Amino acid sequence: MTRLDFFQFKGEALEDFTAIIADFEAENPDIDVVQNQVADADTVIRTRLVKDDVPDVMTLNGNGGLGQLMRAGVFHDFTGDPLLETINPGVQQILSDIGFADGEVNALGYVNNANGVIYNREIFAEQGLEVPETWDEFIAVCDALEAAGVTPFFGTLADSWTALPSFNALGAYPAQDGFFDQMRAEGDTVGPDSAVSFEKDFGTALDQQSQLFSYAQAGYRGRTYDDGNAAFANGEVAMLLQGIWALNPVKGINPDIDAAIFPYPAADDPDDRLLVSGVDVAVLIGKDTPHLAEAERFVEYLFRPDVIEKFAASQTMIPSVIGAELSDDPALQSVKPYFDDNRITGFIDHQVPPSIPLAAIVQGFLLNGDTEAALATLDNEWRKVAARTTTSGD
Amino acid sequence: MTETRAVTTADTGREGRPRKVGGRAPSAYYWMVWPALALFAFFHTLPVLVGVFFSFTNYAGFGTWDFIGIGNYVNLFRDDRVLAAYGFSFGFALVATVLTNVISLAIAMGLNAKIVGRNTFRGIFFVPYVIAILVIGYVFQFLFSNSLPKLFPEIPLIADNMLSNPNWAWVPIVVLAVWQASAFAIIIYLSGLQTIPQELYEAASLDGARPWRQFRSITFPLISAFFTINMVLSLKGFLQVFDHIVALTNGGPGTATESITMLIYKGGFTGGEFAYQTANAVIFVIVITVVSLIQFRVLQRREADF
Repeated sequence: MTRLDFFQFKGEALEDFTAIIADFEAENPDIDVVQNQVADADTVIRTRLVKDDVPDVMTLNGNGGLGQLMRAGVFHDFTGDPLLETINPGVQQILSDIGFADGEVNALGYVNNANGVIYNREIFAEQGLEVPETWDEFIAVCDALEAAGVTPFFGTLADSWTALPSFNALGAYPAQDGFFDQMRAEGDTVGPDSAVSFEKDFGTALDQQSQLFSYAQAGYRGRTYDDGNAAFANGEVAMLLQGIWALNPVKGINPDIDAAIFPYPAADDPDDRLLVSGVDVAVLIGKDTPHLAEAERFVEYLFRPDVIEKFAASQTMIPSVIGAELSDDPALQSVKPYFDDNRITGFIDHQVPPSIPLAAIVQGFLLNGDTEAALATLDNEWRKVAARTTTSGD
Repeated sequence: MTETRAVTTADTGREGRPRKVGGRAPSAYYWMVWPALALFAFFHTLPVLVGVFFSFTNYAGFGTWDFIGIGNYVNLFRDDRVLAAYGFSFGFALVATVLTNVISLAIAMGLNAKIVGRNTFRGIFFVPYVIAILVIGYVFQFLFSNSLPKLFPEIPLIADNMLSNPNWAWVPIVVLAVWQASAFAIIIYLSGLQTIPQELYEAASLDGARPWRQFRSITFPLISAFFTINMVLSLKGFLQVFDHIVALTNGGPGTATESITMLIYKGGFTGGEFAYQTANAVIFVIVITVVSLIQFRVLQRREADF
């Protein structure tokens, strides 16, 4: 009998994983999987890594912090694993952008989220509006809603992080083609005159973002994420500048709401639209685990289409396995084509070093509307962090 | 009597002459002192020294690290975010210190007067000190973001949630901090006021001194030692403001209310710059010590004038 230590970061997925483990153990009587779910998983996994106590199998959120851990080389290398063939390459690309150890594949994307404009399909139908495909159409939709007496967006700037979803989505366009690789290469010389920089490339994105917030309700500076979900659920506004993760709380308030998602149409050509998606759950195996064969059997089981489909539907997420069916939730169906055509890209905040207070800077910008100052601050912070990293001989 | 003996002991100590006859204190005292010293050294001094050591490395909190000399310290002085945090901390501490001391001195004088239900009032005014700041902070947060906007919808500043206004978010933090810190300052002022003999006031009023004159010439000079202690403790405490900010604004909006301690915590833990922020903390300890010592000297000299 082999005991597998399974570290799982997502509190709301506790019951789903309990069911998965029960089924798995029924099929594999020689393996005992012990689920380990703690409140502050990011901190706990770090302390466990410091103590060299790496769990056999882990799920972690695909954020910038995971990239830091993967580069530290404490996880199993999946290179050559047949499972990789079954996973959407766009999803694996997002993980690899976050940062694998050199030449390795340290994580498998399990389920993905989608960062797009959430809209109330009923309100759109009543007003005779279509999903906008270009920036001008988007603004026209906002104007039409406002003319009809419907508030287009509910702004929630009392929480700093709620400034980021729209920043990530609009900033994804200038951040294509290796923008952050060049930024890292430039390091402490980033500025208005360098080849790439926030000051040089992000002006349009920030202007677009502040233009969207000009359509938000009165008093948007003082409202919170929860206020926004409640207002949207009750049909007070037509859209939310959030991602798919906000749908669960919205449906908790109004289960009958007819909501879906569309990507921010910042491009001029509708075909150039990009959907920003992050790996909500990534699966990893500890390096040098004594139970590698068993761990691999468990991971293979997790990626079986029927298992991943059920999990993704329960979590309102998009399964990464090619050919796995999405639940018929309209919100998920509306973003399916982007995954099928591989028109997805990662969150840009995962590329920004965590010591830069990105959320605070973007929030501050949306409060005072000073595009140039915000961009200068971003470049300045980037330079300082790069200088510190160089002196530390990294 | 007592005084004389104390002087003798001190003299002997200074000359360092070993006292053979009955000089040593009973061993029980050593049993009290040594374990305490060991515990203090192990749980306080040692971690501080380890922290000082790591401030000369590039340790991220996990993984490997290298020794990088004073690089972190050099970079600190070039970091405008650090300077801004110092600016906020000092501005906040000055305002909160002045307000706390003015308000608590006034309340302490009220509580020292012969009023009905004096002990009940003293109990009530101490309550804020007993409750955890985080807990009460979330109550204040609700107050500023929900209750006040509903009560005063016609005042734009309040109606729009003061906590999310970069120019004014410091005000609620000051309100919470002063409200909470006054309780302790009141206690110290009360004990000071009780050392003043009542006869002085009687004599003064016979000479025709009015209450304000009595305050200036009797009350304030006689409690100036307590005033010094309160000023030093308040400033030191407010410079390290943390819980209040966590509960109310978390350093925002933007970075408008980011204090030094907040920056150390955020940059060190979530920002992954453990060593860099440790260097920041080392400097901060030195700054606080120096500020407190200077303040002490200045205020004590003023005390001696009377």
